[in-house]
Amino acid sequence: MFPTDTMAQGHEGAEYGFAFLDEDAKRELRRSIFKAVCIPGHQVPYASREMPIARGFGTGGMQVTLALLGPRDCVKVIDQGADDSVNAANIRAFFSLTCPGVSGTTLTEAASVIQTRHRIPELPLRNDQILVFQVPYPDPLVLVEPNAATRRRMHGRADYARLWVKLYEDMVAFDEITISHRYPTRINGHYIIDPSPIPRYDVPKLHQADCLYLFGAGREKRIYAVPPHTDAIPITFADVPFTVEEFIDRKTGKRHCCRRCGATDSFLDEFPDEDGNRVFQCSDAAYCDSRLMQQEAAE
Amino acid sequence: MTPILNVEHLTRIHGKGCDRCLTSTGPEHDTNICPHCGSVVAVADASFQLHRGEVLGIMGESGSGKSSLVKMLYFDDQPTSGRATYDLDGQSHDLFSLNEAQQRRLRDTAMGMVYQNPSLGLNFDISAGGNIAERLLMSDELRYGVIREKARALLARTEVPPARMDELPRNFSGGMQQRVQIARALSTGAPLLFLDEVTTGLDLSVQARILDLIMELQEESGVSMLVVTHDLGVVRHLTTRTIVMKYGRIIESGLTDQILEDPQAAYTQQLVSSAL
Ligand SMILES: Nc1ncnc2c1ncn2[C@@H]1O[C@H](COP(=O)(O)OP(=O)(O)O)[C@@H](O)[C@H]1O
Ligand SMILES: [Mg+2]
Ligand SMILES: [Zn+2]
Ligand SMILES: [Zn+2]
Repeated sequence: MFPTDTMAQGHEGAEYGFAFLDEDAKRELRRSIFKAVCIPGHQVPYASREMPIARGFGTGGMQVTLALLGPRDCVKVIDQGADDSVNAANIRAFFSLTCPGVSGTTLTEAASVIQTRHRIPELPLRNDQILVFQVPYPDPLVLVEPNAATRRRMHGRADYARLWVKLYEDMVAFDEITISHRYPTRINGHYIIDPSPIPRYDVPKLHQADCLYLFGAGREKRIYAVPPHTDAIPITFADVPFTVEEFIDRKTGKRHCCRRCGATDSFLDEFPDEDGNRVFQCSDAAYCDSRLMQQEAAE
Repeated sequence: MTPILNVEHLTRIHGKGCDRCLTSTGPEHDTNICPHCGSVVAVADASFQLHRGEVLGIMGESGSGKSSLVKMLYFDDQPTSGRATYDLDGQSHDLFSLNEAQQRRLRDTAMGMVYQNPSLGLNFDISAGGNIAERLLMSDELRYGVIREKARALLARTEVPPARMDELPRNFSGGMQQRVQIARALSTGAPLLFLDEVTTGLDLSVQARILDLIMELQEESGVSMLVVTHDLGVVRHLTTRTIVMKYGRIIESGLTDQILEDPQAAYTQQLVSSAL
């Protein structure tokens, strides 16, 4: 994967190395990535570079992806599960422009690197694939501790009682844990991570996966990882099981299905249709499309 | 029988210190500030023992080093020199040679602290029950049902109305906040408790009720306590033995009754007579 320096010509003759970043920046990123893989769940600092898009639009994820890409890679970019959102399309175009040889794809199974915001693809990822998350808030402890130095110490000694107190207060107020996104997840029995705003539905996919998960936070300048075959356990009480979205139709007691492909095993987006009725559809567009194609082929 | 706590030559100097700090401060010099280097000798060469099931008073005027002493034992602060061992279930822990994780573990599971200022001992942003839950969670109790039940029982025992369990302690009266702190300190069943001026600033009637409660809890559980106070009433009410401190030094110690009836040091005589 890691390429050697091949110079490319950018707009208006501006020169930059392969994958936009200079070699020093990529080396630094790769060092941080290796460190993150070696210490699963630990937030590793890195020197975030200026990117041609504003921080908060996935610069952390982009830098990680750029440090990974080589000329034979195939990259997919999703935003909330969709490949065709403006944001995802722009980032994919940027990769094509700055990384000669790298191809873009919308097919999960064809991608060697997938950059994502807010979802993990439905199709299980393989050991030759890397999923790169764009992370807005890397530290789950910000909710309970404002001081960054104190938070680092708390992580070091796995001092997470206050996160559980949050869950306790949730249980007291609502009789259930109400966290819907960014569910605190314990990695390899020690560090607890913010897995970025993925739904609870996606959290179990982090556990003992075949692929490598990398998390890049541009604003906070942190990289962390869930390596393959690593425990990733959403935190909860011994007597309160972790649950995921079930999409049960209260009227029928059955699971809602995707209105396009009929899937009953995917994470569904809910929205009103033209007539104002609530409808459900796969949030993973590539998954939905591939199911439709299969159905058409079968007919 | 080995004492639960054995403190030897404990010293805490704030500032860079010099080799004359200890010989230039103390009661005979009428100061705890070293004239040579300006450092504050908060505690100097303090040695004492706390026996199992005992309530030991630490008395002395403001600034004499009482809080400094218990803060070190509870790992809120580190000594400049000296030693303390905590005997827990027959195993002796050399407090200041433990690493940070071991110290935290011991503090979370086997010690309790009640501060004069409830905002130091409680998190005002989480409910009273949540404050107890935090302590239980720190000692690895992860069953919600058990945590809830224990918190309810502890608060009931310290006379916090169960209906207020899920309220924020910032809205409680001072006396009620101290009750929550006591419940929290007791929650892990620690055999060693530090109480630092727990009734100072409360109404007299509230004070009396809290002292009675502490007494009852002590008799029920046999917990060993270090009770810091500048209030002779508290010492008389709670303790069997007392240490008197001045300018960081222990100047007198003995049975509380004897100290109150027949104080030896002139300073103690002053303290006792001024309180009459
Ligand atoms: N962090 C600190 N820095 C400098 N001096 C301190 C510090 N903490 C306490 N002291 C000083 O140490 C002495 C003992 O304080 P303290 O233990 O709080 O007394 P007490 O609890 O008996 O009122 C006082 O002179 C106090 O000003
Ligand atoms: Mg004090
Ligand atoms: Zn679908
Ligand atoms: Zn000095």
